[in-house]
Amino acid sequence: MNAFSMYAARESGLHSLHPLTKILMTLLLVAAGLALPGNWTGYFIVVFIIFPLAFWGRVFLNLLSTTWKVSLPFAISVILIQSFFWGEGTPIFEIGVLSPKWEGAMFAAVSMGKIILVMSGFLLFSMTTRPDTLMITLKQAGVPSSIAYIIVTTLQIVPSFQRKALTILDAQRSRGLETEGNLYVRARAFIPIILPLVLGSLMEVEERAIAIESRGFNSGKKETSLIEIPDTPLQKVIRRVILFGIFAFIVFGVLWRL
Amino acid sequence: MKIIINNLHFTYPTGLEALKGISLTINPGEQVAIVGQNGAGKTTLVRHFNGLLKPTSGAISIGEWETTKYSTAKLASRVGYVFQNPDEQLFSRDVLAEVSFGPRNLGYEKSKADELVKRAMALTELNDKAETNPYDLSPTWRKMVALASIIAMDTPIIIFDEPTTGQDAVNVARIANVIAELKREGRTVVTITHDIDFCAENFERIIALAKGQVLLDGLARDVLGQGEILAQTYVEPPQLTRLGKRLGLKETITKQDQFLNAIARD
Amino acid sequence: MAFVILKDLAYQYPSSTGLVLENISLQIQEGEFVSIIGPNGAGKSTLCYALAGFVPHFFKGEISGEVEVDGRKSSESTLDEWALNVGLAFQNPFNQISGAKYTVFEEIAFGLENIGVPRDEMKKRVEDAMSLTGISDLADRSPYSLSGGQQQRVALTSILVMRPRLLVLDEPTSQMDPVGTREVFGVVRKMAEEGMTVVMVEHKVEWIANFADRVIALKDGQILIEGKPNEVLTSDLLIENGFGISRYTSAAREARKRGLWKKEKLPVTLDEAVEGFKS
Repeated sequence: MNAFSMYAARESGLHSLHPLTKILMTLLLVAAGLALPGNWTGYFIVVFIIFPLAFWGRVFLNLLSTTWKVSLPFAISVILIQSFFWGEGTPIFEIGVLSPKWEGAMFAAVSMGKIILVMSGFLLFSMTTRPDTLMITLKQAGVPSSIAYIIVTTLQIVPSFQRKALTILDAQRSRGLETEGNLYVRARAFIPIILPLVLGSLMEVEERAIAIESRGFNSGKKETSLIEIPDTPLQKVIRRVILFGIFAFIVFGVLWRL
Repeated sequence: MKIIINNLHFTYPTGLEALKGISLTINPGEQVAIVGQNGAGKTTLVRHFNGLLKPTSGAISIGEWETTKYSTAKLASRVGYVFQNPDEQLFSRDVLAEVSFGPRNLGYEKSKADELVKRAMALTELNDKAETNPYDLSPTWRKMVALASIIAMDTPIIIFDEPTTGQDAVNVARIANVIAELKREGRTVVTITHDIDFCAENFERIIALAKGQVLLDGLARDVLGQGEILAQTYVEPPQLTRLGKRLGLKETITKQDQFLNAIARD
Repeated sequence: MAFVILKDLAYQYPSSTGLVLENISLQIQEGEFVSIIGPNGAGKSTLCYALAGFVPHFFKGEISGEVEVDGRKSSESTLDEWALNVGLAFQNPFNQISGAKYTVFEEIAFGLENIGVPRDEMKKRVEDAMSLTGISDLADRSPYSLSGGQQQRVALTSILVMRPRLLVLDEPTSQMDPVGTREVFGVVRKMAEEGMTVVMVEHKVEWIANFADRVIALKDGQILIEGKPNEVLTSDLLIENGFGISRYTSAAREARKRGLWKKEKLPVTLDEAVEGFKS
């Protein structure tokens, strides 16, 4: 990931697949992870399917570090909450009323597997699919262009926030705000950074709406596209198979839990 | 406080080489304008002054502090930096709190901080807006709040990034006023600007950058007289300088009074 | 008949307490290049929004009077139809980037995709527009990696490529270097010669004087004075009302007090100043 887009420009087999094939593939993996029994299925799919795919797409390190950065704070809070608020179970340690339980921690770890699966699946998709080709694909698949636009720009929201946050961080550090150090120092820096970020984003939405309207976004005319997205008969077949697979997993997941 | 820059190079992670060996000394109390085309390296250069960027090679020191050894938050006690877009820093519920934020971070005693905030607000004509939420002000006044919030930090050096962009004549005059007052207080002012007329009227020294290097550096009248060299970095001499030249005046004109005296003599 | 007609236009934003525009009547001919000047808060941007249909269609609020372009009334049109004829570019270039494109070339093509221009024609139009505004070398860069001045050129090109009949520009050069500014004025002049009607808000008086056909000075939501650049930009009304004037005008005014400027008319351009001071 760079500061401008989630997309990592590379030459790879994964990059050259049709976006629809990739999005169905992602959905298939997510469906499998959620439907199949077993506590560690999510982790299994991440390690033995998504990671090798990321290798193929030449974005492995990129994916690993982004998934790590995004999921770590999440994982820590889930594990803390689940272990400390678990009812009956085996204590990890006991200090006064504080008594986190092994069972809670385990439950959290199992849930995280599913979350990491969804997260890494969509990150892999974003890293190997150019935002504009996704937009064209969605529209060709019959998604209204305003919805397609929102989906595509939302996938870009991480780099866009990151870019703005860095500028604001620079401005506030220039006013003597300490941003590095212990938890207290960092907590104090939160408001001066988050407020301009949120207010700025709100103002941006209005101006951006005006800008794209001026460029015929709602013209109601039949749209065309600058780039052609290559597709192959084989991929069309594969997509049918995947679609069937997703359906099968959903049915299986429901039946199995009945 | 002296700024010493020695053979400064900077390359962005993308591989873009933005600064290619800059050496400069800026003396205490100098009023310096930095000009040059879009992408010449102006912002990259001044971002080194308070450590937002650290040199790829070479060095820059503020007083006896070498910037690599200090965080931006620490350097903020010596170098104030007014960003171009005020909306990237405003967050307080009212103007008074916003302007007080910097002095508070720098750890001034309460009475001293109050005094600094009061002076900065008077200088930027914000007194009647102390209790207004900055976001209820027009963009013009938000800019003045940003200016005040940095001036109140009482740093010996202040940087302005494009202070006059999008401002009307009245507000440009107000900003010129602020710069003149900072000069009287003996503070160093470094300004990036495309407004070359503003530059000629308010700064004694001008540095022209081109493609990451210093193209010209000297007194305003010496730099602005060299139109052909300035053209290399997409800068045109000020209106009166061009007029003086076309009229065949011997001296390089930078200010209106000087122009009028010169034509009166001819 | 005039191409753009404003009749007694008055407007108030939903959140504002007073009128932002008041009593604006104006006619602009097809192919005319009109520049709007005025202090901050005079209503310049609101007037741009009214011409481009965003006032009142997008911002709501209360409007009276009429905005007419090419014989059609804004009040009887939808914003989507209106936008096909009238293009708007504004000051902050960053918020004009669509966010859905990877390169500058694709960014500029975005509008043409929206209105269904065939692929081959689209490429040609994007290439032509980029060469016109001098940004061909930025084609493969990310729009986000550019400097403010470069982004402003991209924003301008993105609108020019749509070939609107009326082009509305709100401080399109604020972050550009001086040569870039002059080039943009040149491009806009050229578009006007080719029949595009242009309304441009700017502070840079010297270039307005050199390139615009007419100047409208706005103050407190009303037209203070309008006319040929030389008449408006040398008017005493401007100084009395806190407008910026060119250094040539200001120097000649002072010179006249000392008997050093003999002509009746004050200068706004370099050539006029040279001519006047030589005689």
